[in-house]
Amino acid sequence: MSNKVLVVDDSGTMRKIITRSLNAVGFNDVVEAADGNEGLAAFQQDSFQLVMTDWNMPNKSGLELTRDIRATGSKVPILMVTTEGEKTRVIEAIQAGISGYLIKPFSADALREKLTSFAST
Amino acid sequence: MRAEFINPFVSATQSVFQTMLGTTLKRGPLGLKHSHSPTLEVSGLIGLCGKLQGMVIVSVGHDTAIRATATMLGLEVDEVKDEVVDAMGELTNMIAGSAKTQLADYQLSIGLPTVICGKSHSIGFPSGSPPFVIPFDSDLGPIFVEVGIVESPQP
Repeated sequence: MSNKVLVVDDSGTMRKIITRSLNAVGFNDVVEAADGNEGLAAFQQDSFQLVMTDWNMPNKSGLELTRDIRATGSKVPILMVTTEGEKTRVIEAIQAGISGYLIKPFSADALREKLTSFAST
Repeated sequence: MRAEFINPFVSATQSVFQTMLGTTLKRGPLGLKHSHSPTLEVSGLIGLCGKLQGMVIVSVGHDTAIRATATMLGLEVDEVKDEVVDAMGELTNMIAGSAKTQLADYQLSIGLPTVICGKSHSIGFPSGSPPFVIPFDSDLGPIFVEVGIVESPQP
């Protein structure tokens, strides 16, 4: 299975923080995308063990990206990393097909714990 | 503006700086903002709408923006460039998003953050939502959060 991770976030800061944590738990092959459209294009061109996406982004949101990925029949784990913490939003994301949810702000330990759980699947 | 609208922004700001930067913020006295001038040189702003509407601004000095970015990214940063602008935008986004979650009953949506830099920039709040200023002191320097939100008119 591919060890590659797709990180989709319009913030370069968040992409750097997430990539650093991915590297720390052994995911060394990271592809970055700045919105849902770029993320979908990257997803269609490669094989990934994990997709991590923000929710609110220009052009195509992380929710739309999740629906698009699931529409292809893919069962790749998708971890939503977002400020959207309301229960209704979490339910909406689960219904769209996410596999995990991490609310910003998050500690380095919380992120590492989530990533370790995906690394062992 | 009701206190219940302000308190989520206080706790959100303290939580974001503690969690993402390991920085404890000490809150100062709440004040009303009377002019359009921002308090400091780098301002991240984001709009909110739903059953409330308005804007939040996170304003820091040049040096504080640089120190916060360097701490967040674990990099050496010596001037306000793209990574500082992006980091300030993300901090603003997290503060607004975290406050929004605490104000879930008002079914808010937030926009994408914008960052304005410069000593003489001016930001006006929508009419009818005069902003409160929440000052914080920290090891990174002073941080001002301006919150101007009001209840939306009934349809």
